[in-house]
Amino acid sequence: MDMDLNETQSVIHDACSKLLARRAGPARARELRKTDDFDRLLMIEMDEAGFLDLFYEPDAGPLAGALITEWAASAAALAPIGARVLVAPSVMGDRLPLVIAIADRTNLAAVRFAAEADLLILVDGDEASVAGRGAFEATSVRTKFGFPMARVENVQGTPLLASAGATVKRWWRVSLAAEIAGAARSAVDLTIRYLQDRVQFDRPIASYQAIQHRLVECHVLADAAQWSMREAAFHGAPAELAAGAAVTACEAAHRLFYELHQLSGAIGFTSEYDLHLFTMRLQALRIEMNGVRGHARALVEARWPAAG
Amino acid sequence: MDFDWSPEDAAFRSDLKAFLEAELPPDFDAFAMDPPDQKVFSKAFAAKLAERRWLTPAWPREYGGLEQSAWQQLILSEEMVAHGEPRTAQYMCVNWVGPALIMAGDEDQKAYHLQRISRGDVVWCQGFSEPGAGSDLANLRTKAVWDGDDYVITGEKVWTSYADTADYCFLLARTDPEARKHHGISIFLVPTNAPGLTISEIPSIFPKGAFNQCVFDGVRAPASWRLGPENGGWPIIRKLLVNERVGVARFRRANTTLDRVAKAAREAGLFDDPVVCEALAKAQAACDAARVLIYRVVDQRAKQQIPEVTAYVYRVATIRAERAVYEATMEVEGAGGLLRGSHSATQGFHALSAGTATGTLEMQLNLIAREVIGAAAAGR
Repeated sequence: MDMDLNETQSVIHDACSKLLARRAGPARARELRKTDDFDRLLMIEMDEAGFLDLFYEPDAGPLAGALITEWAASAAALAPIGARVLVAPSVMGDRLPLVIAIADRTNLAAVRFAAEADLLILVDGDEASVAGRGAFEATSVRTKFGFPMARVENVQGTPLLASAGATVKRWWRVSLAAEIAGAARSAVDLTIRYLQDRVQFDRPIASYQAIQHRLVECHVLADAAQWSMREAAFHGAPAELAAGAAVTACEAAHRLFYELHQLSGAIGFTSEYDLHLFTMRLQALRIEMNGVRGHARALVEARWPAAG
Repeated sequence: MDFDWSPEDAAFRSDLKAFLEAELPPDFDAFAMDPPDQKVFSKAFAAKLAERRWLTPAWPREYGGLEQSAWQQLILSEEMVAHGEPRTAQYMCVNWVGPALIMAGDEDQKAYHLQRISRGDVVWCQGFSEPGAGSDLANLRTKAVWDGDDYVITGEKVWTSYADTADYCFLLARTDPEARKHHGISIFLVPTNAPGLTISEIPSIFPKGAFNQCVFDGVRAPASWRLGPENGGWPIIRKLLVNERVGVARFRRANTTLDRVAKAAREAGLFDDPVVCEALAKAQAACDAARVLIYRVVDQRAKQQIPEVTAYVYRVATIRAERAVYEATMEVEGAGGLLRGSHSATQGFHALSAGTATGTLEMQLNLIAREVIGAAAAGR
């Protein structure tokens, strides 16, 4: 047991943080959202730097991929990083295209990054298939929820190995939890900084105990999401831990949306302020895979399976 | 970052579980016993643990311990509570009364008390809270006045768990009424049969014996009962309270209850009910979150750092877990949960006490705010 980054993880952290500071961030996300685009340049740079292929690296492994997904979300990176570094490698090995989207057959109305994807992984119960460009139709849809999304139809997929759907879902949950954890952390930190500076009735708003307690509850929820996800990733996304991390993350995403906007007041609703870059994404993430309902079902079935 | 248990830690857990499963009946819960029976049982059980030095494994070897790691202390706590906490009040002696004696006791005090604690011969209670001093503990008014021969202790302690069966009270009293409030406090090790000390139960909605009142009416305490320097009790207490806040792996006991309730739900065909399903899952996720958050606390301890914020964050998470498990028991048991002895009835007690015992939820939130939001903005 060791809760600090090891030497390899620290090196990855330092290099990845520098890249994200240079290429990602709220200003970049805001610019991309104007054209409903995503950050292909960031994906290319991350690929060239080797950050997208750590899943099978002995010194790094899936936890490093999960951490990168978390850090990227924290930097408001607008790219499907978790799908590429965690989900796809779990069922397709290490020869992967750059941009990958994931969808569940029961929910194709608004799939993140589908129009931009080189490859679509489609989950259907415990089975999964993959479809390259041209083997599925993706029509962009308008959304305020922070990501480019598309309606997916007519998927002509190639089946993956039997039960690959279950594997995809386990890693998809970890990936979602990582994205939520990163976005949640930045949203909480941003709100704390704002309330430290914002003076009303001659005092910083953060000096009121009623406000502090709510902020701290948000901080604890973000911690819970972050560490539950990290443990699940380390252990290889076992069904129970992966679903548990997703439940915890979704609960955080749910609560933070209301709390952080309420605590920030009207500035939080404006496009110029960064909060929406995180909170609106949290909403999209918390309903993916049928949200808490889906994760809860997976969790109870994994922890307390039917006899026989 | 590594979430694997070392082979030594895994082996310790395995040995401990095998021992507990051999010694205890299935679904054992010491807190379901009446206090006198509980005391008899826990003393006998503690003696068995003591034979293996498993009652005080974290202590130095010279005092009956094994100098085990912080991680093995967590394993011990997890497995004990998962198996119905057969030590009952003994966990308090082990987690912080003994360490307080090791930290601040003189040689006579160590020689007299530590052996008794490490053998499981004695039960201690904690004389902290008063009618006017709860979260604001340093506001305590129980006074100990030196009359030339002894301290004379006068005052009232309340909410004192285990006082009705304890052999000793770890008492905080004011020895300098003029000093600023944190500076005039001393610690006393008071036998509960001391003349002038009256202990009576405070009736409550909780199980019998949960709360007691201790009235000190001119209790004479020789200087040898004082632990540490006169007026120097607070720094000792502050250090120990961090231990107490994380001392009990509450999430693990709650998880054991949840597992039992989930099994019943499965057998009753309630898993198809989405409300039950979500309640169970949210409770399990909350228990897991508390479990992984305590790892950060233990990691800091293992690295000789003093956990502060991580400990408070863990406490908040474990309160959430206790409450989520209670919600799940209510959803599963329905009206049956109103019956005495039901999981709901028992878990309700734990869910309520989690947010008040050993520092209220609001105190934890204040302490986190001080660090995370900052002293300046927090107006301190």
